[in-house]
Amino acid sequence: MAKEPVRVLVTGAAGQIGYALVPMIARGVMLGADQPVILHMLDIPPAAETLNGVKMELVDAAFPLLKGVVATTDVVEACTGVNVAVMVGGFPRKEGMERKDVMSKNVSIYKSQASALEQHAAPNCKVLVVANPANTNALILKEFAPSIPAKNITCLTRLDHNRALGQISEKLNVQVSDVKNVIIWGNHSSSQYPDVNHATVMTPSGEKPVRELVKDDAWLNGEFITTVQQRGAAIIKARKLSSALSAASAACDHIRDWVLGTPEGTWVSMGVYSDGSYNAPAGVIYSFPVTCKNGEWTIVQGLAIDEFSRKKLDLTGQELTEEKELAYSCLS
Amino acid sequence: MEQEYIILLQKILVVLFSVTLFWKIIKHMCGLLVIEKEPVTVLVTGAAGQIGYALLPMIARGVMLGPDQPVIIHMLDIEPAAEALNGVKMELIDAAFPLLKDVVATTDVVEACQGVNIAVMVGGFPRKEGMERKDVMSKNVSIYKAQASALEQHAAPDCKVLVVANPANTNALILKEFAPSIPEKNITCLTRLDHNRALGQISEKLNVHVSDVWNVIIWGNHSSTQYPDINHATVKTTNGEKSVRDAIANDNWLNTEFITTVQQRGATIIKARKLSSALSAASAACDHIRDWVLGTPKGTWVSMGVYSDGSYGIQPGIMYSFPVTCEKGQWSIVNGLKIDELSREKMDATAKELMDEKTLAYSCLIDD
Repeated sequence: MAKEPVRVLVTGAAGQIGYALVPMIARGVMLGADQPVILHMLDIPPAAETLNGVKMELVDAAFPLLKGVVATTDVVEACTGVNVAVMVGGFPRKEGMERKDVMSKNVSIYKSQASALEQHAAPNCKVLVVANPANTNALILKEFAPSIPAKNITCLTRLDHNRALGQISEKLNVQVSDVKNVIIWGNHSSSQYPDVNHATVMTPSGEKPVRELVKDDAWLNGEFITTVQQRGAAIIKARKLSSALSAASAACDHIRDWVLGTPEGTWVSMGVYSDGSYNAPAGVIYSFPVTCKNGEWTIVQGLAIDEFSRKKLDLTGQELTEEKELAYSCLS
Repeated sequence: MEQEYIILLQKILVVLFSVTLFWKIIKHMCGLLVIEKEPVTVLVTGAAGQIGYALLPMIARGVMLGPDQPVIIHMLDIEPAAEALNGVKMELIDAAFPLLKDVVATTDVVEACQGVNIAVMVGGFPRKEGMERKDVMSKNVSIYKAQASALEQHAAPDCKVLVVANPANTNALILKEFAPSIPEKNITCLTRLDHNRALGQISEKLNVHVSDVWNVIIWGNHSSTQYPDINHATVKTTNGEKSVRDAIANDNWLNTEFITTVQQRGATIIKARKLSSALSAASAACDHIRDWVLGTPKGTWVSMGVYSDGSYGIQPGIMYSFPVTCEKGQWSIVNGLKIDELSREKMDATAKELMDEKTLAYSCLIDD
């Protein structure tokens, strides 16, 4: 008996990340191989023809799970009945732009999209903000969609989480699927803190702490952290374009684990509305280690935070508080 | 004495029971142990390009070979694309794909072809403005001649090859000619994209789900002379299964606009996107390989460009798209389908174009 289709919205769908993401959604990577989907794709009017081209390609791919495609520049039509919303669209930073200019543009975008989502999305719609500044865009969205439960609004740090897993697996020359429980704390920016203090690797003799196996604290506290923090820039340097494939894949992982649950004994990183856990500032969207069950995320509590980590958690928290102030100043 | 026998019998029964129980427990535990399959090595040439970028995450997620089949990806591109290629490799690592056991990114065709079980040839020389057909053909003939050699010498035995880069059929033919030790049945070209496009057009016309339409056929060349044939296609409607021709009840549309829409879809996509199809081409490449390796569903066929054996009166010795079923890793042409007059004309026209392309390709080789 086929399941009822789930409606998934992708904003900024005519762009690079959208183009990588929509076939993944249509193949069941996001919600499972037996879950039919209806795709809603939104972009701005200048991208309407390109967006239609993407819709045509989705039709041309004859995806068995794809039960419908709505390609539109109308935010109301895009948001109607949506169960999962992936907000990829946003104003990109261009050369010469000040942080405040980018922030200002994105604050306007997320304020109006918040309204539309709140009014037209299905109840219990789950939201993932990808467009940068992801945490603050998500916060604005939350503030202007008060009837969407705060716990339903998240931002993407799974990309950084997966990057951290990748770096550890390369360092130890193990399969990435044997590494787990890294944490990304804080902001999806260069102040993020990739923390391996609770990460483990599956070896032939059982699970071992990453720190013990790597045996190189200098690398773990130095180069490893900066590599993960700056990986986005490294990709841009090599590709002359920002990460799309890995960002899209991480978005699928984020939603899939949220909806279908995290594997036993494993947590993932999600940017979620902070309740002050681990002394992170409350009232910002902050990336924490979470487990997911029955469609809900829960922060993993009680992890020991050493002095080195404490400083880093606070630094990225500080940056988020500043971003929040900047965002609010744009609104006034 | 009898007492002893009974006790002995009881002991034997207890032992047998214990052994059986023990054995069942062991078997059950082995069943719980997930034994991972050996990884399959997949080569993508032209991997730094648009189609490669769409295709690689699909392969890494199991779309091409199944969600339980680990893969090793080999990516090949030309020297000018080396940095971009490395960027793609970095992103594949950053995506932490559970099925992806290794990535090799290289500009060395020998390293790329080493131990490869499946080769998807996306790399080729694209036609640029002002170029004559002969110039494009000439460049691609050289590329596919060289890659044929490398594949033949370094790929794993029984390597399956799918040529995507245009002119797909003729590139595949050249590859076959210069890799004589690769069985000709292992060399194919992509017409699944056109096949899927035809399914999409029918499903839109009838307002049904695309999974409820099957058995269209793409005959011939992956070019604008291809013949999308729905004479044997079926659609599942609310009133049961019907032939597509009956369900649509518009022969004029089926014989004209439908055909030209599918034939020219590539150009339509370019006009809308300002770039050629990547997403749908990559998806079709996955479908082509998956059905080839894992088998077509019962009662269904697909379209593949394969080495013609003379079926349906098509000259042997060219790569021609036929309806095929697949089982145990082998394709077989669906024989015995009725071909009406209109279809005959179109099938012959596309065959003629392929013969002309073959002649052109060989003339380029002589000039080499």
